[in-house]
Amino acid sequence: MIRLVLTRLSGFVLTLFAASVVLFVTINVLPGSAAKSALGIHATAQAIQRFEAQHGLDRPLLVQYAEWLGRILQGDFGTSFQNGVAVGPELLKRLPVTLELATFAFIIANLIAIPLGAWAARRHQKGADRSITFLATILGAIPNFWLATLLVLVFTLTLRWLPPGGFTPFTVNPVMNLKQMIMPALSLGIVSSALLIRIMRASMLEVLSTDYVRTAEAKGANSRTIVFRHSMRNAFIPYLNVAAVEFGFLFGSVVVIEDIFLLPGVGSFVLVGIINRDYPVLLAGALAITLFVLTLNLLVDLIASLLDPRQVKARNS
Amino acid sequence: MMAATAGFDFHRWRLVLLGGLLVGIVLFAAIFAPWVAPYSPFDLDVTKMLQGPSAAHWLGTDELGRDVLSRAIYAARVSMQVALLAVTVGLVGGTLIGMTAAYFGGLVEQALMRAVDLLFSFPAILLAVVLMASLGTSVLNAMIAIGIVFIPGFSRLARASTQAVLRQQYIEAARSIGMSDVRIIFREILPNIMAPLIVEAAVAFAYAVLLESALSFLGLGAQPPDPSWGNMLSTGRGFMAQAPWLSIVPGMAMFICVLGFNLLGDGLRDVTDPHMRE
Repeated sequence: MIRLVLTRLSGFVLTLFAASVVLFVTINVLPGSAAKSALGIHATAQAIQRFEAQHGLDRPLLVQYAEWLGRILQGDFGTSFQNGVAVGPELLKRLPVTLELATFAFIIANLIAIPLGAWAARRHQKGADRSITFLATILGAIPNFWLATLLVLVFTLTLRWLPPGGFTPFTVNPVMNLKQMIMPALSLGIVSSALLIRIMRASMLEVLSTDYVRTAEAKGANSRTIVFRHSMRNAFIPYLNVAAVEFGFLFGSVVVIEDIFLLPGVGSFVLVGIINRDYPVLLAGALAITLFVLTLNLLVDLIASLLDPRQVKARNS
Repeated sequence: MMAATAGFDFHRWRLVLLGGLLVGIVLFAAIFAPWVAPYSPFDLDVTKMLQGPSAAHWLGTDELGRDVLSRAIYAARVSMQVALLAVTVGLVGGTLIGMTAAYFGGLVEQALMRAVDLLFSFPAILLAVVLMASLGTSVLNAMIAIGIVFIPGFSRLARASTQAVLRQQYIEAARSIGMSDVRIIFREILPNIMAPLIVEAAVAFAYAVLLESALSFLGLGAQPPDPSWGNMLSTGRGFMAQAPWLSIVPGMAMFICVLGFNLLGDGLRDVTDPHMRE
């Protein structure tokens, strides 16, 4: 087990390092000059030169990367080109917003997917199964940013139940926080549930066709015992694998939804970085999201191995 | 494989037919936009700003008095162009990488698949957004960015399918008669791994439409006044209270298009491999 953890950890560090190289190189070949963006389009050549020298943008890319990585490892994410604000603390301030949104959306997605997926599997090839599968197809085709727009149209503009956007921390005003978070979370969660319904259904179908379930049925166990005691627990292992990846996907998809609902999270931070050609902001935001997704994948991998010893055996052999 | 023996099996092909119908409508609109659209998508008419649906303008007009139906029809062109090129980039790039990795194995496979895994570690929309920022905002760059996002998925599928084909006797036979590696890859392996790749392409098409719309929605894809469903929705949000149709129409168009490709992909998967769905 220790060997497995160490192998996974070393893979994680290597992937993170490689990801940082890819992000740094991709972002630093941006065609729009950061200097022009920060100083305005009427900036003189001299001012641009001074700006680039000041921020080290005139040095070779490799040197810039080494310096940036060195600073990151010490927890220094640099300062924004636009307003000189330290990026690290700003990122830390925004992280809980995105985390809350992604978690909330993930809970909604699971609340929809687990019962519907399990029910569809139990009623395999019957009316309920077909309806649920069709519903999953419909949900999967809805663009989350369109759903967000429709929710605003209904709940904000028509019914006037919910605010159009903004963010109030949960600790300051929990009711307002939930009111502001429900529509963004629903937009992400409902669409995400489409894939999870299919996965839950497929996992349950596999378990329901196993010998021990058939034996339980033959012994006269009732439907509830079969679903909850014998099937669901085992169906959860493959389901959790996909669900965790979906959680990472949710964390990465917040860019558009945060923009719509004016949520000050990491996604909108990345967007601001792109629009302003603000390298430190863009890099820090993109790296934070990637780090989160990679960490989640690592944890899922390890937990799945713990839950299913066959995976450890298979890997070791 | 096909349902030829017992005549046409409607039940088995129903998803393909329904998906094909929806995709057909979108493709028809995209290809024949100049003939199908009642107005030019750029014709301004300030006397008709933000008018609701009427006999003259079936889906109303936008904030500049342009016909919303005509703009939605022309936007299908942008979406289809982007999706087609993006899926081609992903399909060709991914298939080449996957086949090469599986065929040569060893270090080549390790290096290629590690690079692919690395691309997979970025959330798709984040990767697309960062690539768009790097390449610059334009429709062509959106195609390239989305195509790169697709490469890992196609690579993994092509590698797995190639590995299965490599175990077949005809590959051994091809090797024993001295056929070159390139010839084996393109003449013997490629035709035999196309079926799952085509199914994946249909699903990727749907995702490409979604990604392109998201990029345009954020202002990183097609630029106004060129219509795209994403930028129409983005503009429409500013007039939601007065003109809700500006938000509903482009979203509905995206939904129909994505649903069509998803149904087509699901249907093709069922038809080519009935066990996969379970």
